Amino acid sequence: MAVALMSRVDARTLHLDSLTMNDDDTRDDLDPDPRTADGARDVDGALDEDTRDDADADEAEVDDDSAAEAPADDDDELVGETFEAGDPALRGLFEEQALPYLDQLYAAAMRMTRNPADAQDLVQETFVKAFAAFHRFRQGTNLKAWLYRIQTNLYINSYRRKQREPYANALDDLEDWQVGGAESTTSQADHRSAEAAAIDLMPSSTVKDALQQVPEDFRMVVYLADVEGFAYREIAEIMKTPIGTVMSRLHRGRRILRELLGDYAREHGIGAAQEPGDDPGATTASRAGAARAKQTKTTKGTGR
Amino acid sequence: MTDCGCERAKLELDEYLHDELGADEARMIREHLDGCRDCETELEVSRSLVAALKRGCREKAPDAFREQVLSAVRDMCARHADDEAAAASAASTVTPEIA
Repeated sequence: MAVALMSRVDARTLHLDSLTMNDDDTRDDLDPDPRTADGARDVDGALDEDTRDDADADEAEVDDDSAAEAPADDDDELVGETFEAGDPALRGLFEEQALPYLDQLYAAAMRMTRNPADAQDLVQETFVKAFAAFHRFRQGTNLKAWLYRIQTNLYINSYRRKQREPYANALDDLEDWQVGGAESTTSQADHRSAEAAAIDLMPSSTVKDALQQVPEDFRMVVYLADVEGFAYREIAEIMKTPIGTVMSRLHRGRRILRELLGDYAREHGIGAAQEPGDDPGATTASRAGAARAKQTKTTKGTGR
Repeated sequence: MTDCGCERAKLELDEYLHDELGADEARMIREHLDGCRDCETELEVSRSLVAALKRGCREKAPDAFREQVLSAVRDMCARHADDEAAAASAASTVTPEIA
């Protein structure tokens, strides 16, 4: 495996950020032939195991260590590399590196669009766009964040317009108590302990359905933070919002979610064991409907 | 729950959970959590919530869709190659790399 990687690496003239500091400025746009510094790069294959983690933190846009949940460990050996457009190696590399994120991006797209047809359109467009720009992607930086940024942009700019949903911007202006559920769970520790236990027993599909009922921008932040584990800074970057907004949306999104799940748990007497994975759908749906009605009412209150 | 640190801790629990606090702040929260069951259970709920979300949001793209994406990318690649070839023959004195 290591040998195969190294030869692949050589073939593509990999180099490390640490070895390319000098030509960083020119790499992306001006250097017509990345092979010019081949000699200096021969050692990369030997070095990259050790420097890989550091390299993730080097990307200018998403440069937080905690953020660097790197593209698994399989494909980030070409640290620092970019390509010229049209390089035939690009396609193979793209398929190898980006395709593994298909499921994740699809899952995210499902949370965004809430239906498989739109989700597929969105993801396909994301991949096509990403491929078109892939020669500018700097190897070793956070590909996942990069892909999410593309997808989120696409979604915000096109798909979201088609959907009628109150913009979270309007909701951001509301006080916690207006969003609902704000302090309803702050009572006693025992109650919360039970709440945690109930959430642990919640069927997966119920959790997913509940998340779908959370207003969009809150939902996205919860998804990006809690499911994907992006750092706040990355989420701010992906969603083009200030970090403070990310934090308050996450907080509120979780609150709403907790309330939805709490309702579900009460109705189903959970903890009474329920096997995860099975969704007694009707009740969830009606509950969700109620939550949504409440949401809509709240939004109207702002006059938007 | 006046202020024994709870208010601040509650505000920062999300950040704490996400490792978004600096070392000092994180230590303060940790110390507070040790002595405060109220906040401790709050964190417990958040942890459960995160775990439940991860579990609930797993999704696998349909195989046919995966193929579709692959071929969209390949089509695009082929088109690009055609364009390059056309450009090269149209202006044979200028190589695509330099242009």
